[in-house]
Amino acid sequence: MAAARRHKRVAASQPGFLPLKADLDGNIADIKRRKRVNKNRKKNWNKYSDIHDVEDFLDDVRLQERATGGLISEKPDDSLFFVDLGEKEKDTRPQEEETVKKSRSSKPLRIDLILRPASHIQAPKNILAFQQPNAKKQRRIAEKAAKLAAIGVVPRRERLLQLRRAAATTRVPVKENPACNNPQTPFYDLWSAGTPETADPYYLEQTKKKRVRRPSKLNEKPSVLPAVEIIAPGASYNPDFFSHQELLREAHKVEVKKLKEEEKLQRQLAVNGEIATEESTFNEQVEGLIEEEEEEEEEEEEETEQKQPEEETEDTAVGPSATQKKKTEKQRKKEKAERIKELQKKAERQVIDRRQQLFQLRSIHANLKKQEQVTKMRRTQRKANQEAEKSMPRRLGRLKFQTPDLDVQLSDELPGSLRSLKPEGSILKDRFKSFQKRNLIEPRERAKFKRRIKVKYTEKRAFREIK
Amino acid sequence: MGGLQKKKYESGSATNYITRNRARKKLSLSLADFRRLCILKGIYPHEPKHKKKVNKGSTAPRTYYLLKDIRFLLHEPIVGKFREYKIFVRKLRKAYGKGEWSGVERLRENKPAYKLDHIIKERYPTFIDALRDVDDSLSMCFLFSTFARTGKCHVQTIQLCRRLSVEWMNYIITSRSLTKVFLSIKGIYYQAEVLGQTITWIVPYQFAHNHPTDVDYRVMATFTELYTTLFGFVNFRLYQTLNLVYPPKLDGPGEASLRSGCDEDYALDSESYSEKLSALSASLARMVPVMEEEETQLDHFPAEGEDLEKMEAREKAELERDAQKNLFEGLKFFLNREAPRESLAFLIRCLGGQVSWDKSLCIGSTYDVTDETITHHIVDRPNVDKQYINRYYIQPQWVYDSLNAKMLLPVEEYFLGVTLPPHLSPFVEETEGDYVPPEKLKLLALQRGEKPQEEDEEEEDEEEDDDEDDEQSEEDEEEEDEAKLTEIEEKRTKGKSLPVKVTPGKVKAENRTKAEQEEKAEEKRLAIMMMKKREKYLYEKIMFGKKRNIRDANKLAAKRKAHDEASKTDKKKKKKC
Repeated sequence: MAAARRHKRVAASQPGFLPLKADLDGNIADIKRRKRVNKNRKKNWNKYSDIHDVEDFLDDVRLQERATGGLISEKPDDSLFFVDLGEKEKDTRPQEEETVKKSRSSKPLRIDLILRPASHIQAPKNILAFQQPNAKKQRRIAEKAAKLAAIGVVPRRERLLQLRRAAATTRVPVKENPACNNPQTPFYDLWSAGTPETADPYYLEQTKKKRVRRPSKLNEKPSVLPAVEIIAPGASYNPDFFSHQELLREAHKVEVKKLKEEEKLQRQLAVNGEIATEESTFNEQVEGLIEEEEEEEEEEEEETEQKQPEEETEDTAVGPSATQKKKTEKQRKKEKAERIKELQKKAERQVIDRRQQLFQLRSIHANLKKQEQVTKMRRTQRKANQEAEKSMPRRLGRLKFQTPDLDVQLSDELPGSLRSLKPEGSILKDRFKSFQKRNLIEPRERAKFKRRIKVKYTEKRAFREIK
Repeated sequence: MGGLQKKKYESGSATNYITRNRARKKLSLSLADFRRLCILKGIYPHEPKHKKKVNKGSTAPRTYYLLKDIRFLLHEPIVGKFREYKIFVRKLRKAYGKGEWSGVERLRENKPAYKLDHIIKERYPTFIDALRDVDDSLSMCFLFSTFARTGKCHVQTIQLCRRLSVEWMNYIITSRSLTKVFLSIKGIYYQAEVLGQTITWIVPYQFAHNHPTDVDYRVMATFTELYTTLFGFVNFRLYQTLNLVYPPKLDGPGEASLRSGCDEDYALDSESYSEKLSALSASLARMVPVMEEEETQLDHFPAEGEDLEKMEAREKAELERDAQKNLFEGLKFFLNREAPRESLAFLIRCLGGQVSWDKSLCIGSTYDVTDETITHHIVDRPNVDKQYINRYYIQPQWVYDSLNAKMLLPVEEYFLGVTLPPHLSPFVEETEGDYVPPEKLKLLALQRGEKPQEEDEEEEDEEEDDDEDDEQSEEDEEEEDEAKLTEIEEKRTKGKSLPVKVTPGKVKAENRTKAEQEEKAEEKRLAIMMMKKREKYLYEKIMFGKKRNIRDANKLAAKRKAHDEASKTDKKKKKKC
């Protein structure tokens, strides 16, 4: 009874509620008799309190919402009922066809119908989809941008865009960072005095805002030679006879020197004496095998004879074992006296010599002067050498600097006019050698190409067949 | 004595030097990049004085750098760029390998590049420093600008070099600072005086290239990279000093636009302007229109003794320079198509002449062959079909020789088909007692204003007299007339005056000089007498050396004379035959 009563209470709290399921309408038959239990424990509360009615009611509410999209009780009558006017008369055929066509075109596909959500309840909205992530941060950024814009600072993206637009209008591609060999490089006044830096130099250096000062020693040139060395007057395209001859002589000297060196090398490499032929090598190999025994014996004897004296000499050479006798007192005294006498003699001699030097004063003077002169000469020579070395190519690497060949045209090669002149030598090479000569770069050899893997040569079959 | 024993190779030169490989590792760069960096920063290898001390007892030749230099290199921001470039190459290779073409394109667009402005500023703190070192960059730029675009170096580099060299030539033309030219078998040597600095450079002949294989192109390209940047900044500054617009613009744009119609035959629109610039036939636009040139007078300061002599010499040189600058003023040249156009146009414009060439030869010709006002026609072939009577047909060497001689040389020796006099090097400066070729002597005489002695052969050439000589002779005649007039006047006054007169004392200039000379000679003799024995010996030695030199020179001259005579007789024989 109590359950029914309670149910009624629920129903009563919902005035005008129309249940969809029939069993909610006061189905009392199922109601069991209530068991009396102490509900002083949570377990009992859970177990013995009956909440079916509420759940059923809520289920029904949900069902109604699902099936009809709202509570039936709240629906207007029009949506629940219709006035029955009897069956409609069917229209004429053409119209029917049209409608069929229309319906066909408008009617959704069956598959779509199946896939359509069965429930009338709208799917809950995804809150996250509507929430902006980092909204706060972005709001702050926007505020800052607005503040900057008020000052007149254009953000980088905007600036780049403007640049691109400007480039599009002028049709000149704007590159942010052109290379240094760009032919359109805009040059400017590099040496104009800019605004002097006022900040602390130490701070600037530490924060790498200021470059490290270049040591002034680096601005010294490693050679005193001029950048462009002018060729001898004999190398004019239409030279004066004698200067041309001079140049030819110079070139000739170089050539002769080279030839001499080559000849020397050849001489050194030449084989001395006879060259081994097949016969001689054979003889050498066979030597001793064919010879008669007597000779062998003789030789052996000789060898033994030779060996013996050698051994003897070795023995004598090994130890000069001269055991010295002990000196007597007398001998020692005598030796000492002799030694002292010698020393005295020496001292006396020195005194005399010194006295004699007084008479040699002139020659000594001359000697001194001579020596001084020699040192002076040496000093000047050294200075001159040092001076000359400044213009010499130094040894900067594994290879020595090779002076390039003189550019010379022989007398019959000289052109009659500027038009028929055939230029001699290459300026590129001349420049390169000049860099080497001025010690700007070290002389190098072109790296040789080394094949790591051996190449296998095979004949193609077609080729073989023809052969 | 106490103290720890010093270890070997832990101080002194052993620690002052660093080998190339160690330096490379310290900078963590590849060898090529290291070499590039060293060239750009101007750090060169150094030969230690005592190799044994540096190389731990071994004397094997190696490449050393000073450790301090390498430490300085560590601060260079370009090192970072090199590393970036390395990464770029790696990425590009990877993208290629995978065939990601869009990736390749993107990478290409963002190719790392570096600028050398700060290095130039660092290496050349002032403009004059840069100008002093511009010789190298000039030679390199002129060389690279003549390269074919065949992939030996970047096309962009060639274009930049061409642009810069044209700018330079235009500057030299406008400032008229060219002083010497020498046509050698290797190339053309030029010398100019720019802002007091003597600058020499070499330009290759056109189409003269064979690419030598024993030259490291990478090194040369690196040098060019540096030198183009330097050169550009120098050019800018030079243009500024002359108030010229930079980048250079041709004067009179109206004319340029008028002629643009026919220029399409030569070049694309984009290139035609630079081509016209490189034609060197038009003058450049200035920031401020040219004022009437004022003849600036040098300030005169009272000077004494040596200073005076120096001053006089300087003034004389200045005058000569001025004369040289306006050597071809008012002359009109026409270049035949076989003559080297660029070099000749450059020279003629440098000396103030006007120049043109055949329209089909190159862009920028200003007048035609048929122009009646042309004074010199430069031809480099044995004969010309149609000759105009009112102009000289001369060979190109005349222009070069005239510049070197600082005067208009007589034209006869340079006519068509005539064997040219030798082209002497203007860079040779003979000291006293050296052998001077007779051609040079003749030239010197001409420069002094003396007329060359007439020889038998020159009589043949005399039929064609040149205007200059006539003018000169006219001037001489005028002077003579004036002298005569004054003499006559004097005679008249003499006749009228009283027999008693006070004659002014004559100044015996010659006698005085003679006396001075005698005095000097006497002094010298006395000085020699007073010399110590050793000094006298030295003096005699020196004098002997001088005499020997003179003797040698005389011998050479005699030889030359004999040679000339022999050749003359040969010629005569040939003529007779």
